[in-house]
Amino acid sequence: MSNTSDFISNLASKLGRPTPTEPPPQVELSVPQYRLSNTEERVSIFMQNWQALGGKGAIVRSADETLQCLKAWFGEQPITWFKENSQALLAWDTLPTIAESAFSSLNWPLTRYSQSAFDPRDRYSIAANAELGITGSDWGISLSGTVVVKSDPLRGRAISLLPPRHLSFIESTQIQDNLFNVLEEVAALGSPPAAIEMISGPSRTSDIEMDLSIGVHGPIEVYVIVIDH
Amino acid sequence: MTMYNQTTDERVDKALANSFLRQATRRATDRLRNNKYKAADELGNWEEWRAAGEAIRKNVISNLDYYLNQLIEQMEKRGVHVHLAKTPADAVTVVRNIVREHNAKNVLKSKSMISEEIHLNHALEEDGVEVVETDLGEYIIQIASEPPSHIIVPAMHKTRQQVADLFEPIAGHALSSDTPTLTRFVRTQMREKFLRGDIGITGCNFAVASTGSIVMVTNEGNGRMVSTLPRVQITLMGMERIVPSFRELDILLNLLARSATGQRLSSYTTILTPPKNTADPDGPEEYHLVILDHNRSEILGDKLFRSSLNCIRCGACFNVCPVYRQLGGHAYGSVYSGPIGSVITPLLEKDWKKWGHLPYFSSLCGACSEACPVRIPLHDLLVKLRMRKTQSGHTPQVERQIFKAYRYFFTREKTLRRALRLGARLQWPFVRNQRITGGPPPLSNWTNSRTLPMVAPKPFMQLWADLKNKR
Repeated sequence: MSNTSDFISNLASKLGRPTPTEPPPQVELSVPQYRLSNTEERVSIFMQNWQALGGKGAIVRSADETLQCLKAWFGEQPITWFKENSQALLAWDTLPTIAESAFSSLNWPLTRYSQSAFDPRDRYSIAANAELGITGSDWGISLSGTVVVKSDPLRGRAISLLPPRHLSFIESTQIQDNLFNVLEEVAALGSPPAAIEMISGPSRTSDIEMDLSIGVHGPIEVYVIVIDH
Repeated sequence: MTMYNQTTDERVDKALANSFLRQATRRATDRLRNNKYKAADELGNWEEWRAAGEAIRKNVISNLDYYLNQLIEQMEKRGVHVHLAKTPADAVTVVRNIVREHNAKNVLKSKSMISEEIHLNHALEEDGVEVVETDLGEYIIQIASEPPSHIIVPAMHKTRQQVADLFEPIAGHALSSDTPTLTRFVRTQMREKFLRGDIGITGCNFAVASTGSIVMVTNEGNGRMVSTLPRVQITLMGMERIVPSFRELDILLNLLARSATGQRLSSYTTILTPPKNTADPDGPEEYHLVILDHNRSEILGDKLFRSSLNCIRCGACFNVCPVYRQLGGHAYGSVYSGPIGSVITPLLEKDWKKWGHLPYFSSLCGACSEACPVRIPLHDLLVKLRMRKTQSGHTPQVERQIFKAYRYFFTREKTLRRALRLGARLQWPFVRNQRITGGPPPLSNWTNSRTLPMVAPKPFMQLWADLKNKR
């Protein structure tokens, strides 16, 4: 195995100069980026693109609208799920207030992933057996219909991954025009979290005769609720 | 891997006889190519994006020492174990040691071309470790013991029935060959494996030097599984996979997703800045980054071929190549297929005898260079590789003799005239319909599958002289 200085020196010698001590000049980037004029437009395009990828979406302004939306999407299913599994709905420790009160009014109890078990493997089993994973989103991307989720001790990456359904709440003002704007926000964090997940629709593959198939590993159904204050 | 033991001619013959393979390759490459056109058109200024992509990659490669050092510093600062592997054998040893140290029995892998390059699975399996490829396409070819036939669609050569036949012994019962049934079977199979995986091995699409982050794109979500659930994670990266910061990442992710599959972004784009925060409820506690050289530093020092390191592994060159679009990647034998594979394989492997044939599998039409999102002049590199092979004396004896003869005659005008006159007389037994259709070896190597124009009864030199006299 090589040590770092030998490895780097070898590259410098191949490049025919010593390793620079200052950062190399940045490349000028002047590609025209996708721009939208206001939040309303961003939400509308985001929703179109999210749905085109196979996701379901709704815009809500209150806890009551959220409740109506959840009822329309899931109907009596959660009641059936709870009969088999009391931990069928798995969520972040804290969801947006609107979401918390909607679930509470519906009397659909949420299991908090980070507190669900002491051993990580037990937590994964709980997530794999859950019917619906519920998260927030830190940002959205209009152009690609993407939700972006940072990891955090009170959150959990498996919630948006292991259950067959994933529901995410996002504030309308957090939806950005394009990936560049989101990456600017990420860069502004200084030190990024352990994981940032950008999710554009359900898990998909075309590996068998180029035939599209949904849900080979990740969620089969994906839902987003945009909170518009 | 029986495929590696066959000669190129044997593999090509086999592929030519496989009508499904030819049809499937055409279907997959057509679909990917057309999706790419749509996704590129949608941006409206694709050439500007390509130019930006090229500029970013050139900047990275010409400052690779600086950025790699920065990446390593950032990673080590956070407690990541960075391993620098000069050779594939070094990289395999690193991974084997980590697996042994943890007494791991179940290793989960998401897609990694480096693991194919270093033939990792075989080595781990020799140690009694169960290695599971979790990408559906990779899983299929793992069961079939075959290398990928396309960088993006590794099992494109398999029919759904062949896939069902491969899965049935594992399922223990008959499986219908419809896609939802096969997908459901894999989902159930993999779930159990994901939940008991000891170590996760992933590839790396880009590594962000300024923050020490790893970027992975997948559509299935298996990359997320492998980087979220096991306690220990190993990422394998080629040393040129770097991007300076998030500012440049935007351009490269757009170019990659649009060029590879025609998506605006892949279903899952994951940015890992490992290891996990101690209080995070999931993610790997221990993280190893294995950075592979494997003669990339030699390519870096070779100005003629340095630009081949700019590749972002999208497969777009394969999808437009009139050679690879016919038979897929298996026929030509290399792990990296398509025009970029024909360029980098002889350089990475430094073995002209084994891989010197690859630069010749090209019509030099330039479609690959046009398709490349970071504007690598691939067809130009293929010509230069042919030159390099010739200069290194690895051309066949017959070819050398032919060129010697060519030089001999074309530097002696009178001898050439005599030879042409003789040729025009002697050719008749082999001429059919004004074309030479046969002949003794080595001529027969050509005429077995093609014809040659006749030696003209009156050579051009004579026609030219006659024309002058008429004036």
